[in-house]
Amino acid sequence: MNLLWVVLLPLIGTLVPLFTERFGRNICAFCVALLPAWSLILVLMYAPDIFNGQAIRQTIEWIPAIGLEVSFRLDGLSLLFLLLILGIGLLVILYARYYLSLKDSMSRFYVYLMLFMAAMVGIVTSNNLIQLWMFWELTSISSFLLISFWSHKSEARKGARMALTVTGAGGLALLAGLLLIGRIVGSYDLDTVLASSDIIHAHAAYPVALILVLLGAFTKSAQFPFHFWLPHAMAAPTPVSAYLHSATMVKAGIFLMARFYPVLAGTDLWFIIVSLTGLTTLLLGAYIALFKHDLKGLLAYSTISHLGLITLLLGLNSPLAAVAAIFHIINHATFKASLFMAAGIIDHESGSRDMRQLNGLWQYMPYTATLAIVAALAMAGVPLLNGFLSKEMFFAETLNQSVLGSLSWTIPLLAVIGAAFSVAYSLRFIHDVFFNGQPVDLPKTPQEPPRYVRIPVEILVALCLLVGIFPAFVVGDLLHIASFAVLDHTVPVHNLAIWHGLNLPLLMSFMAMVGGVILYYNRRHLFEFQSHFDTTDAKHIFERTIQSLVKAAESITNTLENGSLQRYVFTLLLCTLVMGGLPLIELTQNSGTRASIPLDGVTIVCALLMIFSAVATVIWHRRRFLALIFLSVVGLIVSLTFAKFSAPDLALTQLSVEIVTIILLLLALFFLPQSSLKESSNRRLSVDLLVAGLIGCVIGTLCYAMLTTPLNTMSDFFIANSKTGGGGTNVVNVILVDFRGFDTLGEIIVLGIAALGIFKLIANMRIAIPARDDKGRAWSNDPHPMMLEVVSQSLLPLALLVSAYIFLRGHNMPGGGFIAGLITSVAIIQQYIAHGVQWIKPRVTIDYQWIIASGILIATATGLGSWLFGQAFLSTWFDYFSLPWIGKFELASAMLFDLGVYLTVVGAVMLILANLGKLTTSERLDIQENN
Amino acid sequence: MEFWVELVASILLVTGATFAFIGSLGLAKLPDFYTRLHGPTKATTLGMGCLLIASMILVTYWQGYLSVHELLITLFLLITAPVTAYMLAKTAMHHKLQILEKTTDKTLSKRAAERMTP
Repeated sequence: MNLLWVVLLPLIGTLVPLFTERFGRNICAFCVALLPAWSLILVLMYAPDIFNGQAIRQTIEWIPAIGLEVSFRLDGLSLLFLLLILGIGLLVILYARYYLSLKDSMSRFYVYLMLFMAAMVGIVTSNNLIQLWMFWELTSISSFLLISFWSHKSEARKGARMALTVTGAGGLALLAGLLLIGRIVGSYDLDTVLASSDIIHAHAAYPVALILVLLGAFTKSAQFPFHFWLPHAMAAPTPVSAYLHSATMVKAGIFLMARFYPVLAGTDLWFIIVSLTGLTTLLLGAYIALFKHDLKGLLAYSTISHLGLITLLLGLNSPLAAVAAIFHIINHATFKASLFMAAGIIDHESGSRDMRQLNGLWQYMPYTATLAIVAALAMAGVPLLNGFLSKEMFFAETLNQSVLGSLSWTIPLLAVIGAAFSVAYSLRFIHDVFFNGQPVDLPKTPQEPPRYVRIPVEILVALCLLVGIFPAFVVGDLLHIASFAVLDHTVPVHNLAIWHGLNLPLLMSFMAMVGGVILYYNRRHLFEFQSHFDTTDAKHIFERTIQSLVKAAESITNTLENGSLQRYVFTLLLCTLVMGGLPLIELTQNSGTRASIPLDGVTIVCALLMIFSAVATVIWHRRRFLALIFLSVVGLIVSLTFAKFSAPDLALTQLSVEIVTIILLLLALFFLPQSSLKESSNRRLSVDLLVAGLIGCVIGTLCYAMLTTPLNTMSDFFIANSKTGGGGTNVVNVILVDFRGFDTLGEIIVLGIAALGIFKLIANMRIAIPARDDKGRAWSNDPHPMMLEVVSQSLLPLALLVSAYIFLRGHNMPGGGFIAGLITSVAIIQQYIAHGVQWIKPRVTIDYQWIIASGILIATATGLGSWLFGQAFLSTWFDYFSLPWIGKFELASAMLFDLGVYLTVVGAVMLILANLGKLTTSERLDIQENN
Repeated sequence: MEFWVELVASILLVTGATFAFIGSLGLAKLPDFYTRLHGPTKATTLGMGCLLIASMILVTYWQGYLSVHELLITLFLLITAPVTAYMLAKTAMHHKLQILEKTTDKTLSKRAAERMTP
């Protein structure tokens, strides 16, 4: 047997509805129920061990190196919750089968439901804080999906958004709290954490951790002041309300408090926060519930009130209160789930949930009415039903506490008031719906529902009765082991019995009953009193807050990103100036010890030419074509500089890149205005000039300092090991394909992605093609003269030969895949220029995307290939062979890698240039054709 | 031996330099675009050819093996220079640049103009 399967089975169950929906609704529901049922059986098989006081653990190592593991545990508390989650979950599956109408997608509903179930099971069985949190978030997400199931309704979407925002924010607080606890204890293992109560209590960060964890629990369990999301979540289908908002999800917060009870409780801070929050929620929920006309609204506020009651119990400083809290968890889940289901039946059969319309349903559905009345009486806490027992325990505990010091006597009083309201709204539920005259304007004539939809309600109501009459026999053991887990193995003596003799708690119960009847009897006065208050809809406040947040975010974004490229560059350069310039002030000398190379005439002329061209580019930047020519002069001289200072690889690359760039810019120029107006003010120009000048000074200083410092870098290592380790004498190429091959692999992938991105951007672009140039001359009607065509075509094989030569010699001489790729691309672009897209299209049918993909695949496969020989990723292999006629030659796996680089470069460059070029012709991609 | 090699190389170098200079001078001095075009495309190409042959002779002599890549450069130059000149002239005609009166062969340019105008 395997604990992991308890979680895994419902998770696998998310796939079941997708495959079984086609076989009809009955089979689908049946198959969906199979896996949770199996999971429940697994849990029950563990149960005997748990009842013997054991806790079952299972750990699967995930990434042992950093201490990550998947870890589960099953103890009494988990068992109790698992029974609730899986048991009620199965009933809800059955209920939903009949509840969902034919218009609703059943498989979608079941998928969400199973996802939620798996997440809940994960929460209660996790033995690791982070894992617990992950499942916690999963419940938030799946509950969002479930609440917004009827996504065509605005209120469902709003309610779902609100629930997700509140519980999601609480989840983040919880994560912070759990991380803090993990840091304090030094472990994220739940067993370890639960055993380190003293360390946590003594730590200075305890209050922070406590508040963060409680924030998570309170948001999830709809405690004041975060209770407002729960009534709006009632926009969900009723099976969801019955499952999530009564039995399980809102109980997750309670579970969290119970789980961490041994380590976080026991301090005054805990008692004050938890008990006061619980008390406020209890009273507020009970009070508002009475005034809700919507059946589900009443139940929602009643749920809030009961959750407050459980929270209050957990916040009272006695172990017996914790036992009462656990007992009430069971009782509330049973009667509230059945009430929600009954409300769903009423809604379904009568078409309304408004208690001003629903009256006298007893005559139409006596059987359902009986069930609902029993459940409502349990909610009110009437003897012989389960609600009575836990409520009496609750009253007893309110008498036994001293949380508020000398004001502690107020708690029992307020508890009785809350209970009286609870009796009053239960009475209203019974009296208004089933008696009180005749129905008013119902859309449908109510009738009894189908047989099977009542079964879940019957089971739950039977449980209410059984627990109410034979408490010790039915739940005694379960309560004991759950308390055993919560209270750290010391369970106080408690007596589950209906009759404890005439005592104060019994009197309080009686007072609450009488008070409730009186309240209900005088409800008209109360309603009138309540109608004087402004009713603010939390939904509107929430939406307004969210809207203003979005607006604020938008305005900040718009201020920062106003679309002005000049400004972005300005900001970027200014930051560079501050970050790069400030440290330079501390540098006392800017020249190193290295002797300078003697100047010669050619260098000086070239440098002057380059300076002149750079300045000229700036000055004539508005005459774009002229600026482009100056720019190309700069690029050419940079290439020559590389060649002079013995970097032939760089020179070759720079030259090819320069050509490709100029072609790219020329193509872009086609769409831009031939000359542009002066746009910047003089003030702006001077500021820009200042920043640019300063940047130039900083970069110049840095370069000078770098160049005059003697070289003592790891280049020496590369130079020494290039031939012996990489098998090539061209160090630059060996670095690219061997020493830093992983970098290169990443770079070509980035290149490929960038090219695809650009392709996507320009593929369907529709820019107006200018018909004339700036002087109003029409374009030449002979754009592809024959002389150019013939010569270009005859040059192509020569150029390809050069590129192959450069590629092959790359490992030992200047060259390599990158340069060869650029040369090939330039050769192909030459054909585009000479012949035009129309001529090329039928002749070159290769898809450039495929070239990119195959390049990356070849490079990756070469890297992976080294695994076959037991070497690390991207290890290279080389050896020397000889053949007759050719002589001795070298074969290296690096060459295959270089081939990948070559193909990617060709594909990327061609994809961009060819498609940009196509934009200028009538051969643009057609949208229809593209799809 | 070395003297003779160097003599031939020097003659070629000087000739090449002279041609290159004349080409540049023409580019600077000639009166209109079409005549200026002759300088860099004809004279300079010829000059470059001489320089490359000089380089070929010297390198072959010093290295002891036949250096042919200068020939390749020459070949590329001879292919590209006329095409460049042709494209430039075509563009100039499209832009209707002023032609010197005395260089005009009216029938030819008229026919070209007829072909060019859309």
